[in-house]
Amino acid sequence: MEVEATQIRSVPVFAITGEIDHSNASTLSTAVETPLTRGESVILLDLTGVDYIDSGGVSVLLSTVRRLRNRGWLGVINPNENVRRLLEIVGLTVDHGFRMFADQDEAEQAIDAHTATTGGSV
Amino acid sequence: MRPNKPSMRIPRPPVDQSSHCRTLSVGAEARNLRALRAFVEEAAASARLDVDRGYDLKVAVSEACANAVEHSGSEHRPLQVCATTYTDRLVIEIANGAHFRVNPAGGGPPEERGLGLPLMVAMVDEVRFVNTPDRGTLVRLTMLLDPTLPPPAGMRPPSSGRAR
Repeated sequence: MEVEATQIRSVPVFAITGEIDHSNASTLSTAVETPLTRGESVILLDLTGVDYIDSGGVSVLLSTVRRLRNRGWLGVINPNENVRRLLEIVGLTVDHGFRMFADQDEAEQAIDAHTATTGGSV
Repeated sequence: MRPNKPSMRIPRPPVDQSSHCRTLSVGAEARNLRALRAFVEEAAASARLDVDRGYDLKVAVSEACANAVEHSGSEHRPLQVCATTYTDRLVIEIANGAHFRVNPAGGGPPEERGLGLPLMVAMVDEVRFVNTPDRGTLVRLTMLLDPTLPPPAGMRPPSSGRAR
């Protein structure tokens, strides 16, 4: 698995490629720890390049959602059908602290809406 | 769109499958999970399991193995995985000589732990846990094959045993 850190509208974005399982999920949790500790209210994960995820990776998503819940949300971009189904099964897709976007444009619109709501930068 | 799961009574597999299994034995280490998934993917392809259901099966097998990996400590007992294809189903059995353990307290809120068992149940057609005296907890995962497709060549007929 590879993780590339970028930004959209000053929001941290982690573009992930490969498979996320119990052997490497700690790499993802380490990556999101920095913005979480910094107090970021929105974090995005671009899952376009993710072929496979299981409970090892999902646990990291759940933990991140929990830590962002009172101030923002975790968004994922373009998960494939199988990954999306897994996120539905574990209940993330109905969690208010979790968003799913088809592409970066949708994510940007949500960030703009969040900024307008919170009255400042994310 | 994911195809509908076949609806069939799942007969009980025969007890002795050693001569008909495709097997894999690897140390119960996280770094071997990818090889385990590749093994399952190959078995699923041979059984002509739908690709999306093959993904579900990989997740379920990974969950079953992850428990052994998490609790194996430094022993790294070998994980033994056996894939048997019948005319109507694919059965994956996982054993590592240890008994299944519930996730210990700590390490995060309940909703972030213990995902493995619910995921296994959600992803495959049948899950069985068998506590054996010599092989520890045997996890048996069954995926029914599409009855509209011709069965894989040379596969075993379904067992005549009743499902419990």
